[in-house]
Amino acid sequence: MAASTASPARTATALLAGWILPGAGHAVLGRLRRGIVFFVLVMGSFGLGLAHDGRLALYSSREWLLSSMQVLANVGVGPADTIARVGVYGEAAYMRKDGDPDPHQEARIETFRSRWRSALSIYGTAYLWTAGLMNLLLLLDVWDLSRGRKD
Amino acid sequence: MASHVVHLVLYSAIVALFFAVLTRRERREQLRFAGLVFAGMTGGVLVLAYLMYPFPR
Repeated sequence: MAASTASPARTATALLAGWILPGAGHAVLGRLRRGIVFFVLVMGSFGLGLAHDGRLALYSSREWLLSSMQVLANVGVGPADTIARVGVYGEAAYMRKDGDPDPHQEARIETFRSRWRSALSIYGTAYLWTAGLMNLLLLLDVWDLSRGRKD
Repeated sequence: MASHVVHLVLYSAIVALFFAVLTRRERREQLRFAGLVFAGMTGGVLVLAYLMYPFPR
């Protein structure tokens, strides 16, 4: 039996909710238990990342491709990433301008480098990227569910 | 916590559970798939580690 399709408004709501709160998209589409499991896994990975000095990537024009992919992997987890950036950098920082004498930029880059130097950073960064990428996969799953391609 | 092995187990468990719940519907299938992914990841890393052991850093 083919799964039912959701209305465009419900699909949009589920996608937005899923990005804002991992697993919420599934809950909106009636998969509450699955949504709770996804929330625990994604936010657990995100929490482990922050606890292990994970690097919150900053876009740099010198390494535009790599750094933009890293930022995308971070942003995938939703507003939690922004909150974490405020906690780590003191502001919602997403870019760095190397060589800029602005003290704000220097402080931002120094914070980034200090996390880079941490022995735990390789683990933390892997957890952070995994959390974001898992949530992006969940959004694709929400899309498939709402289109009736999955049940 | 800076143990490679602990993080290998933890990370593999998170990824295995995630893909099991994402791609399988029946509880039994989910557990089987999660076990396979977990064993593949941890076992694969250990095999790779032994293969790389003779090579200097």
